[in-house]
Amino acid sequence: MHLFLLGVSHRTAPVELREKLDFSSRGVGDAVEALSTRPSATECVVVSTCNRSEVYVASEDPARARAELVAFLSEYHQLAPEAFLPHLFVKEDAAAVGHLFRVAAGLDSLVVGEPQVLGQVKEAFQTAHERRCAGPLLGKVFNWSFAVGKRVRTETAIGEGAVSISFAAVALARKIFDRLSGRHVLVVGAGEISTLTAQHLRSQGVGDIVITSRTHAQAEALAAAVNGRAVPWEQMPAALASADIVITATGSQRPIITRQHLESASGGKRRSSPLFIIDIAVPRDVASDVTEIEQVFLYNVDDLQSVVEENLSRRSAEISRAEQIVADELMRFSSWQRSRGAVPTVVALRQKFDAIRRAELQRLDHKLGVLPPEAKARVDEVTRLIVEKLLLEPTEQLKALPDEETQVAYTEAINRLFRLRPDEDRADAQGAVPPERDETT
Amino acid sequence: MNLLPLVFYAVAGVAYAVHFARRQAGVGRAATTLLLIGILAHTFVIGMQTMEVRHVPFANPSRAISTFVWLLTLSYLYLELTTDERAMGVFILPIVIGLQIIPVLNPGVENTDPVLDSPLFWVHVASLLFAYASFALAGVLGLTYMLQFKEIKAKHLGYLYTRLPSLQTLDVMNWRAVAVGWLFLTVGVVVGVVWAAQARVIAPQDPNIQAMALDDPKILFAFLTWAVYSFAMVARRTMGWSGRRAAWLSAVGFAIVLLNFLPLNYFVTTSHTFQ
Repeated sequence: MHLFLLGVSHRTAPVELREKLDFSSRGVGDAVEALSTRPSATECVVVSTCNRSEVYVASEDPARARAELVAFLSEYHQLAPEAFLPHLFVKEDAAAVGHLFRVAAGLDSLVVGEPQVLGQVKEAFQTAHERRCAGPLLGKVFNWSFAVGKRVRTETAIGEGAVSISFAAVALARKIFDRLSGRHVLVVGAGEISTLTAQHLRSQGVGDIVITSRTHAQAEALAAAVNGRAVPWEQMPAALASADIVITATGSQRPIITRQHLESASGGKRRSSPLFIIDIAVPRDVASDVTEIEQVFLYNVDDLQSVVEENLSRRSAEISRAEQIVADELMRFSSWQRSRGAVPTVVALRQKFDAIRRAELQRLDHKLGVLPPEAKARVDEVTRLIVEKLLLEPTEQLKALPDEETQVAYTEAINRLFRLRPDEDRADAQGAVPPERDETT
Repeated sequence: MNLLPLVFYAVAGVAYAVHFARRQAGVGRAATTLLLIGILAHTFVIGMQTMEVRHVPFANPSRAISTFVWLLTLSYLYLELTTDERAMGVFILPIVIGLQIIPVLNPGVENTDPVLDSPLFWVHVASLLFAYASFALAGVLGLTYMLQFKEIKAKHLGYLYTRLPSLQTLDVMNWRAVAVGWLFLTVGVVVGVVWAAQARVIAPQDPNIQAMALDDPKILFAFLTWAVYSFAMVARRTMGWSGRRAAWLSAVGFAIVLLNFLPLNYFVTTSHTFQ
């Protein structure tokens, strides 16, 4: 059985083509089911995110699988093969496994180390698994990739540090307030980044989000989007007094929040709790003299941008360590796969030995008939144990052979010595070893 | 005997430093384990000394320091386990190691002055040692708060920023440490005054007892410490002195405690030097 991968990603194809080859809009489940009807696709999983469409297939005949997959892509998306062939990448066996490991680790992502892709890969496999399209080989490969993704994330800092302005703002808020539950948020003026930031804050469990804008309709729209409360523009000073986190994003030409505003908002008393102001507006909405107040922390869009850039460069410094982990896991996977190469021979050998044992017991049945049933059972048990012990060492040795060539030579020799024909029993052999699933969960 | 815990504390200190720099979970767990072993060894040492002199060994400065270190590591371990925050270890362990060197170099002899043989005296010393351990924690938390505050305020989100806990966590931990310390300091001072009054009756000729007055540097400093922490508590409640000001106060308070504890103990004071 071979692993075969075919797909496009942000590295190989422009966004227009990726959109045309996207599976998620029509449902990955249907796509994977349609694919599984192709004769060469014994097992299949479809991974489709905004940056990639990848099809993983386990097949006996990779050459045929390739042709069929191209035809499938063309038919399913109603696109001439010439349109996507130049952008397609094709990988087989170890290269395909390595690719999946890199994807799961976030190494192939547009933003290196982003965590969502691991969830998307898990979801893709889950979908295929539920529709009975993923079998033992893809099951193993995908579960292994989840473990790789997890290992890379825990052993390297590749996923650390926010890499978008809104996440950087939330991360900062957490360094000031620790837990954000119960914190009051004030959003002044609506915009894309302020909406995103408010949404992230909402998902962190902040108390209430108050939104105000010169155009009240805008405030109400944003309030609906983040489950907040819109208040009239005139009530901003009151909202400012009780806020812990303020996000400003108005189009005002002059600062709308100054030191005087904040001081009068707190009634002239010293602020004992911190106030975190995120000023996304250009030109700035918040006068820089507010930082003279001890507990006020002001970050504008440039500050957050430089945080993001620093984090990105720190992430890229971790890439080589992450790649090392991927290479390491790929090696382990390959040696596991080699041990699986011996499985048909091992199973055939066991079956042969057991058949001999049963035949001999059968032959002696009339002589053993005089024994009480417990003794007969004991004889059966003892003969079974002898066979097991005889086979234990050769089985382990066979599975631990260092490379494929040696393994082929050894299995050939055993097949010949014992007149085994493991290939014919292959279907049984696959079934004899239960597929290992969910080892990462 | 104090050497064994010192060795473990030193190795744990190195592990905390490595964990701080590399942030590997395994190293962090190793650091905590080493610290725990150090504390167990230290508990054994103090237990042996207790059996030897039949009370907790702190009636000479070196042994008091050893007991103080033991209380400090215990309090720190409690803090670490309850907050799951290991970054403070790299600041606490140097204090632990530095202080523990003193009893190793100068084991001292437990004094057996009969005037000290009173339960009040032991409550007095135990409370104060525990209070000082809390203040040490609070002081380090305060310094850490100031570091983190500076980083965030100056928009310098680098090495320290990523490693230090959040301002809120540091502030709350600092407040708790100060509150616990203040409580034990108050108990210790009150019991000390009561004991001194009793001792004056029992042993009126003892020069130590005669020197027990506010003009004695050690006693003066104890009251100064109490005043600083009392102010810190009141200011936080009524004047909004949390955060950076509270951090400053607890750092200053701990500086006074250290001054009282080390040089004054050995060189200046005339009271509190029982033989």
